[in-house]
Amino acid sequence: MSAPFLDRLPQVPASTGFERFYDSALRLYPSPFRETYAPAMRQAFRDALRDKALPRPTFVRLIIRDLATSLIKEHIAMLRDSLTRPALVFNALVLAGIATGIALAFYAIPQHVLRSGLNDPQIQMAGDLAANLERFGVTDGLLQGALLSTGGGSNVDMSRSLSPFLIVYNDEGQPLGSNGQLDGKTPAPPRGVFDYVRQHGEERVTWQPTRGVRIAAVIERVDGPQPGFVLAGRNMREVEARIADVQTMAGLTWLGMLGLIVVGSLAFGIYTRPKPTMPVPPPAPAKG
Amino acid sequence: MATGIQPSVPLSPAVLAILLSLAEGDKHGYAMMKDARSPGGGGIQMGPGTLYGSIERMMRDCLVEESDRQDDERRRYYRLTSQGRAVLAAELERLEATMSSARALGLLPDGGRS
Repeated sequence: MSAPFLDRLPQVPASTGFERFYDSALRLYPSPFRETYAPAMRQAFRDALRDKALPRPTFVRLIIRDLATSLIKEHIAMLRDSLTRPALVFNALVLAGIATGIALAFYAIPQHVLRSGLNDPQIQMAGDLAANLERFGVTDGLLQGALLSTGGGSNVDMSRSLSPFLIVYNDEGQPLGSNGQLDGKTPAPPRGVFDYVRQHGEERVTWQPTRGVRIAAVIERVDGPQPGFVLAGRNMREVEARIADVQTMAGLTWLGMLGLIVVGSLAFGIYTRPKPTMPVPPPAPAKG
Repeated sequence: MATGIQPSVPLSPAVLAILLSLAEGDKHGYAMMKDARSPGGGGIQMGPGTLYGSIERMMRDCLVEESDRQDDERRRYYRLTSQGRAVLAAELERLEATMSSARALGLLPDGGRS
């Protein structure tokens, strides 16, 4: 197949435009590959350039196609060699796990603080009104103005206002008095909530009386001669918007940390990647 | 088929062409490219990037090694290892079996080449 054709190749000028282009293109190969093979590749290019049996257009097409495919292939091979080392992958996964934990905490802790803080005025209001009504009973207590004396003054539109409101229910869960209205009515939470409060004395829930309206509600049991329930609630709109902001920030932080881990692992992997196969030194000639 | 051959067959066309070229003796880069381009070498248009990328992986698989031949300091010569020769033999046996099947099916003339 092969012949000592190199001796027969005509000489060409040391550098042509296309050769300079090829020299520039060689710089695009991954550095370890380039350092090892660029001189030999340049020589093979020159040999091909001098080969009269290889038509120039064919040669140009061959080189362009070869650059396009081998550049991609060598970079992929470099990335694969750099990034698929078990230690590197393990470290990246551990870091990603830590980053995920930090991001979850970054979301969960403020979310819990914001949500639980939303109950603060309702806890006090429900407790005060329940204590007041226990002395007189829910019906009589309301008649004596217990609702007004506990801060339940003007009517609150549950769907729009951020002000806390109070609702008093009888033992069957039917509303008896309220300063909170939703579409002109006084809604009641699900019966299961009353059953729970009847047994445990108090419950703090997120209540959705209608679509799009979410209420932070504290329900207290009223014991005494006329038992019933007191519900103190507040629209969650603003706090939920803040929680959504926290969620967005936590998500961006998580993505940022993952991005840093990917970039860091990539850089570390490339910096510490295995070198290409080094040429085997020729054996020393046998003596004697 | 040769036994104890670890590198997977079938080989890629470029690897087969390089092994075939080096089966003749130590060769430098362009000699292998030229051999590969010839009909007997596979008729593969292979540029320097593909050639040396393949050689890099073949050296890692111990199929070829750099030769001590040095007639021009700008050129690197390569040669087959015993492992490379065995892999080439295994691949040629596989191709021969395929050709035999094709002949038996009447897809190729007996004893001829397509």
